[in-house]
Amino acid sequence: MTQMILTGLLCGALLGFVIQRGRFCLTGGFRDMYIAKDNRMLYALLIAIAIQSVGVYALIETGVIEYSAGQIPWVATIIGAYVFGIGIVLAGGCATGTWYRAGEGLIGSWIALAGYMLMSAVMKTGALKPVNSSLKDTAVTNNSIPDTFGLNVWLFIALLVVITLFFVIRTLRKPKVKIPSLPPKRQGLAHLLFEKRWHPFFTAILVGLIAILAWPLSEATGRNSGLGITTPSANVLQYLVTGDDSKYINWGVFLVLGILLGSFIAAKASREFRFRVPDAKTAVSSFFGGILMGFGASWAGGCTIGNGLVQTAMMTWQGWIALAFMILGTWTASYFMFVRPRARAAKQRAATLQATTA
Amino acid sequence: MKHKLPTLGMVCPFPLIEAQKAMDELPSGDELVIDFDCTQATESLPRWAAEAGHIVTNYEQLDDASWTITIQKK
Repeated sequence: MTQMILTGLLCGALLGFVIQRGRFCLTGGFRDMYIAKDNRMLYALLIAIAIQSVGVYALIETGVIEYSAGQIPWVATIIGAYVFGIGIVLAGGCATGTWYRAGEGLIGSWIALAGYMLMSAVMKTGALKPVNSSLKDTAVTNNSIPDTFGLNVWLFIALLVVITLFFVIRTLRKPKVKIPSLPPKRQGLAHLLFEKRWHPFFTAILVGLIAILAWPLSEATGRNSGLGITTPSANVLQYLVTGDDSKYINWGVFLVLGILLGSFIAAKASREFRFRVPDAKTAVSSFFGGILMGFGASWAGGCTIGNGLVQTAMMTWQGWIALAFMILGTWTASYFMFVRPRARAAKQRAATLQATTA
Repeated sequence: MKHKLPTLGMVCPFPLIEAQKAMDELPSGDELVIDFDCTQATESLPRWAAEAGHIVTNYEQLDDASWTITIQKK
């Protein structure tokens, strides 16, 4: 138990610290692929996936950890990931993003987190359990991509590494625009840790390493899995209302609590912590975003981390299919929330201009 | 001329979206003063300004999780 608490909190705190300082926001990254034609965060995610994939499969080869891909419910994964993608835009951050922003003192993220935990628990053990399981029995096939093709997993890992390197090198070679930064007020380690802007690719390397570390730490406590957010977030609430620790307390619970702790430490030390209250509109949209996230992630069997970072690294259909539909979900929501309103405003402006000159 | 854009309480990506909207309305040479408290915007606002070719004339942290940036339209 003590080991579970310590290693879970430690791993979570490392992750929370790194994503807070690195502003590792995948929701923003997916959105910007569409509204700003900027793929940097997708490439950063690929770096984290590739590093984790190499590391975890090396651990599997050497027998340190065990893994079985199991089966994928296609319909549930596709619909769930798409709904999740819409939810994270409304909530202003994915599941991990919401945990770390909660640590920065954003009350809006607390609200989103409440909706997310509530809906995940409702789907997993509550009133909507039949809805959740009905779709999970539909169109179920083998989940492992290498098994489907009858090829060695390392072939796919090598392919991923090559593709990632190609995009990373191409991005780094682009002529750079000088981005204005805040005048530095600190020096040495304090400057590097709590002030300097971290390159997303550097942050991604650290996220990949933490994702590897999560596997042996988690398996040592009997939880055969890596980083995961949705089930542990639901577990927190399920434990609180049932008091059943044997069922709901596991390494993952301390992982998510650790994220909150790590991001709080990072934000506080960087002078970026403050309780911030959203307006009514943001609060409502955060809550509904959280509800959609809980609904979607339960169906899809994971969030941006569980599916987008971990299942992808394990070379499963679930990971890559969910990632693709999650991105489509963020684009759909972005169209209605950002692209269309801006286009309408531009049109109106043009009309007013015409009216005044005519 | 300076225009004020308060975005306090707005979460990512709204400070950026509102800044882009406000900038669309401004004539060239005018400045937009954006006060914000969304941490992610410390990255997205200056980045957008630089990439769009606008000039950042002031950028500072005012207090815990509170910043201001002034961007002059190109």
